[in-house]
This record gives sequence, structure tokens and C-alpha cells, in this order.
Amino acid sequence: MMLQAPVLIVVIPLMFTFVALIFGLWKKGLCYPIVLIALSLSFLATLQTLNIVITSGIIHYRLGNWNPPWGIEYVVDYLNAFVLPVISFVAIMVAIYSKKSVEKELSDKVVYFYCIFLLQVTGFLGITVTGDMFNLYVFLEIASLAGYALITMGEDGAPFASFNYLIFGTIGACFYLLGVGYLYAATGSLNMADLARLLPDLYGSKVILVGFSFFMVGLAIKMALFPLHVWLPDAYTYAPSSVSALLAPLMTKVGAYVLIRVIYTVFKPYFSIEILPAATILCWIAAAAIIFGAAMALAQTDLKRMLTYILVSEVGYLALGVGLGNRNGLTGAILHILNDAFMMLALFMVVGAIMYRHGGRRISELRYLHKKMPFTMAVFVVAALSVIGIPPTCGFFSKWYLILGAINAHGWIFVAVLLASSLLNAILFFRVIENIYLEPHDGDIVENHDMVAGAEESPLTMLVPILIAGAGILSLGVLSGKIISTIIQFAIPAGF
Amino acid sequence: MFDLIISKYNYWIYIILMMIGFYAMIGKKNLVKKIIGMNIFQTAIILFFISTASKKGGTLPIIMHGHGAHAVKAASYINPLPHVLMLTAIVVMVSTLGVALAIVIQIYRRYNTLEENEILRLNK
Amino acid sequence: MRFLALIAVIITGIILIYGSVDMPDWGDPHSPASLHVSPRYIEKTMEETATPNMVTSVLADYRGYDTLGETTVIFTAGISCILILRERKRRKKRKINPKNPTNHV
Repeated sequence: MMLQAPVLIVVIPLMFTFVALIFGLWKKGLCYPIVLIALSLSFLATLQTLNIVITSGIIHYRLGNWNPPWGIEYVVDYLNAFVLPVISFVAIMVAIYSKKSVEKELSDKVVYFYCIFLLQVTGFLGITVTGDMFNLYVFLEIASLAGYALITMGEDGAPFASFNYLIFGTIGACFYLLGVGYLYAATGSLNMADLARLLPDLYGSKVILVGFSFFMVGLAIKMALFPLHVWLPDAYTYAPSSVSALLAPLMTKVGAYVLIRVIYTVFKPYFSIEILPAATILCWIAAAAIIFGAAMALAQTDLKRMLTYILVSEVGYLALGVGLGNRNGLTGAILHILNDAFMMLALFMVVGAIMYRHGGRRISELRYLHKKMPFTMAVFVVAALSVIGIPPTCGFFSKWYLILGAINAHGWIFVAVLLASSLLNAILFFRVIENIYLEPHDGDIVENHDMVAGAEESPLTMLVPILIAGAGILSLGVLSGKIISTIIQFAIPAGF
Repeated sequence: MFDLIISKYNYWIYIILMMIGFYAMIGKKNLVKKIIGMNIFQTAIILFFISTASKKGGTLPIIMHGHGAHAVKAASYINPLPHVLMLTAIVVMVSTLGVALAIVIQIYRRYNTLEENEILRLNK
Repeated sequence: MRFLALIAVIITGIILIYGSVDMPDWGDPHSPASLHVSPRYIEKTMEETATPNMVTSVLADYRGYDTLGETTVIFTAGISCILILRERKRRKKRKINPKNPTNHV
């Protein structure tokens, strides 16, 4: 049983989708516990996988017992063993959180919603665990299709935002598939390890150069890197709150993981650093993304839309860490996959809770929330401090490694960009926090609300995951040294 | 130059087809036209993959008189792998098409139009 | 906008054609795709899977997991369509955008 852990990660949520559908159609209320059971089992399988990887090294799991270049294999090394538990943990948190908001926003579609929810998580896990380029494409499409459907369920603008996302996402997936096709025509293989062995002889070939650039563009669309991010703000703003809480932390992180995989495992690091200036271009684009995201976030009056632009800026951090192409930069990027997943989880869940209680989410309407929802707002402040990068929180540590990486690469402009973005984020969040915590000057709407402390705190199923995410942000900061020394330092691809 | 055209023209035709679809996806204003473009793009990719499978002198990848003991030479059958990949990709394409059309129906229910400009105007 | 789209499309096309110059010729029996990985499917299909149709043997056996993914994609699309298209009574009332009363049908 334990040896089967890598495949159980994907198969459990997939099979429980059918269970949830059948039992859900019989009794609606059974869906929620089934989803929680499925995700918890899957989470245990990811932990078991991580444990096996730490104790006995890289896992090669051959599906159908066919040897690698002919069959499909799952390869779990430190990098994806690290990403997998993050995905399933975030999914469990969102699943717990989703109960109330789904009942409110999608009351008559609960069963189908949870089925797609599980399929979405299946897709993310399948992308992360596989060692085959084409299998990755199939699971990428599962995750994307589920994402389009979930986003369509949102507010008034949602179907159109989702349609735009579908067009962009399909272009991204098609470009990825074209990249696979070019590599296949040049090498005849689809297995990542086999490609990594065959490709270095062909690095001069134009087919490989073009295939690589199409991978880059396709993945940049999927992870919403700056000039190709245009689908993200609308889609995540209009999506139902539990859907944005699931997609915002995960979709971009999974994209970043695949980016690291393609640049540094399928291709050798020197390909993107020396042969093509891809890493340098990625750094500049990432710097632009960081500044653009933060600047656009400043201009927003809607809290959720502001967070989506912060997400665009966070994607910039990940891409910058990948592009710097040195040990510290990559450590920062991989650590940021974990930290940013928790930060975005906390922030989007808090916004969802505010919307659940208040209906509105304009920044100017948030006054006195610290009295009505003290715990929720405390977590919001912790997450905000983490995005800014204040020391005890986890955001500081990934930023610290990114800055070290930029210094190692002598990219002084990138150091400046990272510091400037911290400043912008500080302005951004203090504007919101000021609105929440400080007394209004004119004392206008005060009397309309009864001011019993905690009277409108979020419901328990929302509050618990929010508090866990907040505690996670603080404890990950304390534990980051240990995480780096036990996992991340081995997760950095060979060649650094 | 002539050799180049003779030996590569298949790829170029598919690339031109892909670009027609790609243009429709990003340049057209009507949502259904975008979906048609998406379909053309994906079909062209399928053709591209299939053309990497072909071998001169090869036949369909089904063994004739299969149930006997005689050696099968790889050169006499075309490559089955791209066909398999594209069977999967066709299914993915159909699924994407289905979801896209469902979303378009939902958009039409809400705005009574499928023109991007008008939807953007109504969204204001 | 259209002009930009046209330029993006032309650039993409030129890049793709530039890459295709180094591709193996059409129908070349010595291309990497026909020499690596795929010969085993052709030569061993009877021995290993007892299926004369190689596409079937690869689809359902060697790369059967992709096929599981494929059926999952269809399943996802089916559930997605139900999720998207199921009418709620509440939605029907919003058919006409309240902010634009001129848009009656």
C-alpha cells in the first residue's frame, strides 16, 4: 500500500469524484464529508511520498509496469515531493472553508461543484507528480477545464471573464502541445528523463530552440506572467470566493513548478542561461511584473481585484527566482511556492469571509471590521505583513533569498525592484489596514452598527481554515530554515 | 531551396492553418468565431503531430496476418505513437469545445449578444 | 487591436517556420521519431500485448494512463457543462442588464 503512494495521490481524488457524484445525487449533504475524506487521504499519501523521498531518495513509479520511455512513469524527487503536500493541504483548507460560501452562492449546484472541485485538485496533483510531457498536458487540461467551469459560476461578469480565460488558457495549452510536438519530432521521446538525456546533443538545433520558446510562452500564459496575465484579474475577481481561494494559491504555483521543471530538469540549466538568453529575459519580465502588479494594485478600489494584482506581482517573484539561475534565487523561488500559497490562501479566504458577512468588498467600506471580525482581520494583517516581507512572517524569508540571489547574480536593478515592491506593498496594505482599524475622521456611519465585539465574526467552518492559514504563515517563517535544510536544498536541480 | 520546400511543405501548410486559427482566436470580436478559430488551431496541431508519424514505404500500424510467428520490421509500419497522442488530444479538444460553448450559452443568456464590444460596453 | 493581433500571428508563424527548417523531412524513415521509442511498439506489439493494432496496444496498454486522463477530461467536461448550464430561477430574471434598460429584446 505504501509503495503505491505516488499514484494514490492522484487516484484517490479522482475515484472519490465518482463516489461524491453518486452519493451526492442521493443525499446532497454527503458531498462535503466525502470531499474532505478524499482530500485528507490524498494529503496523507503526499506526506507518505515526501517521507519516502526523504528517507530513500527519488521515486520512479512505472504505471502499468512498462519501462520509462515506452510507458508513462511518475517521478517524484525533492522538488515535486515538496510541492505536492502544499497543493493538497491548500485544497483541504479551501474545502473546509467552502461549505458556507458554496451554500450561499451556489445552493442548488453543490454536488456538481464539489465534483469539479475534486477534479481540479486531481489535475493539479497529476501535473505535479508526472514525469511525462504529454501526460502533463492531459492533466493540465483537466485542471484548466475544471477551472473554467468553476470561474463561470461567479458573479455577473464571471462567464465573460471565464471565456477570456478559456481562450487564453487554450492558447497556452496549444503552445505547450506544440512545444511537445517539436521536441518529439527532434528526439522521438516524451519522457522527461529521457528527453534530458537526449537533448544536450541537439542544443544547436532550431527545432529545440523553437520548442523551448513555445514551452516558455505557453507556461507564461498558464502562470499569468506579466504581459500575458490579462485573463487573471477579471477571472479571479468574479469567481466565487471559494474558487478564487483555491485557484489563486495553486494555479500560478503549479505553473511555476512546471516552469522550473522544463527549464532546469528537461533542459540543462546552461541551455537557458548560456545558449538562449531565456533566463535573463525571464528576469526582466519578472521585474516588470513585480512593479506592474504592485502599481496596478495601488489603483484598485475593490479589495479582491487588488489582491489579484498582488498575485500578478507574486508570480513575478517566482519567475524572478527561476530566472536568476543561481542557488539562492532558486531556493527563494521554491520556498516562495510554499509561502505564497499560504499568503494567497489566507488573503483570498479573508476576502471571501468579508463578502460572506458584508456582501461588499470595496476598500472604503471596510471600516470597523476589526471590531466585527477580530480574528479574521488579525489573519489579514498577518498575511499583509507577510506579503510586505516583515521578518517573523514567512514572506520575509523567501524575499530574503530572492534578494541574495539577485546580489549573487549582480542584478542590482532586481534588488532595487524587490525593495521597491516591498515599499509599494507596504503602502498598499497600510491603506487597507488604515481603513479597517482606524477611526474615521468624520464619524459618520458609527451609530448605524451595534458594536458588540466579534458579533459578525466569520462562521466556524470559515474561521478555522483562516486561522490555520494565519498560523501557517507565522510558523512557516519560524520553520523556514529547517524546511530549506531538509528539503529545498536537495530540490534544487542538478547543475547549480 | 526547392528540396527544402519539397521536404518540409507539410509542416508549413499546418503552420499556416494554425496561424489562421490563432488569428481568429485573438483578432475576431465574435465569441463563436473565436471558438471556431480555437478549433482550427487545435486541428492543425493534430495534423502536425500526425505528419511526424509518417514514413515513406510504411503502411497503417495494424499488423496484417497478425496471428503467426514472423518478424515485424519497424520500417514497414508508420509510427503509432503520434496517432495515440492525437486520439487523446482530439478528446481534449472536444471537451474544451463543449465547455466553451456552454460558457457562450451562459454569456448569451446574460447579455443577449455575442459581440465582444457590446459585452464590454454592457459590463461597464 | 486587429493590427496587433495580425503582427503577433505573423511573428509566431515565422518563428514556427524557422523551427521547422531543422525538422526531419516528411516521411523520413530515419527520423528520430521513427527510430527512438516507437520501434518497440511496432515490433513487440504481438509478443507483449497480443494486439495486432498498434494504436490500440499503445492507447490501452503502453500509455493506458493517458487514456485514463482522456476519459477524465471528458468526464470533467460533462460535469462542467451540467454545472454551467443548469438553470436557476434566480438567473432568468437577470437576463436584461438592469443598468442598461435600453437593451430589451
